[in-house]
Amino acid sequence: MKMVRAFIRPEKEQEVVLALEGAGFPSLTKMPVFGRGKQKGLQVGPVHYDELPKMLVMMVVNDGDVEKVVNLIHEKAKTGFVGDGKIFISPVENAYTVRTGEAGL
Amino acid sequence: MKEITAIIRRDKLPETKKALEDLGYPSLSIQSVDGRGKQRGAVCDYDLDPELPDSFCTPVRLKPTPSAYALEHTLPKVALFVPKRMLTMVVPDDLVTTLVKAIIKVNKTGKTGDGKIFVSPIESAVRVRTGEKDGEAIS
Repeated sequence: MKMVRAFIRPEKEQEVVLALEGAGFPSLTKMPVFGRGKQKGLQVGPVHYDELPKMLVMMVVNDGDVEKVVNLIHEKAKTGFVGDGKIFISPVENAYTVRTGEAGL
Repeated sequence: MKEITAIIRRDKLPETKKALEDLGYPSLSIQSVDGRGKQRGAVCDYDLDPELPDSFCTPVRLKPTPSAYALEHTLPKVALFVPKRMLTMVVPDDLVTTLVKAIIKVNKTGKTGDGKIFVSPIESAVRVRTGEKDGEAIS
């Protein structure tokens, strides 16, 4: 299993969620975060924004589905301008469902 | 070291903290998140329309009650999320099973929406105050 964490534009969140749901990945956790990338925030005229609002979408998927999920998020969250976000993938050894106590997704 | 990420019901948080404290492992981070599982965010007791396929999102599949109708018409492509609490804790390898069992025991209600627990590997840890590394940093 892998955990996919995608930092995306807040306004793209619903589009991404609906696309993932359509592809059969309805389960996810989201949280609003603030961050910056290698552009060190955003400069609009004299005003410098150090931390920009992003939406962190977190989901755990089976190894075989990682590429599909990443491609979907990439396709839907892409605008071509800086600030589109990043996707991180990390290993998960075990998952448990609390309701049943079973291991596995 | 392993990281335990547990996504649980909001109202179970105090009990969970108490249970972890009793086991002698009180350190954790808590975050407020929104999430959903394979029920696509169904939290209410409405009946789902069996004639519509599973691929439809939950608000559409609800049998038309007044509130379902309102939901459907004000938010046509709503993606429903349920507020949850996410606990993150980094623990030594041998404690993982005990803690996971404890969290499951406290949070189990038998209804959907109880949450999930993920266990993932952590390579290294540093305590900021002293600069201690790895095992000492999380003890």
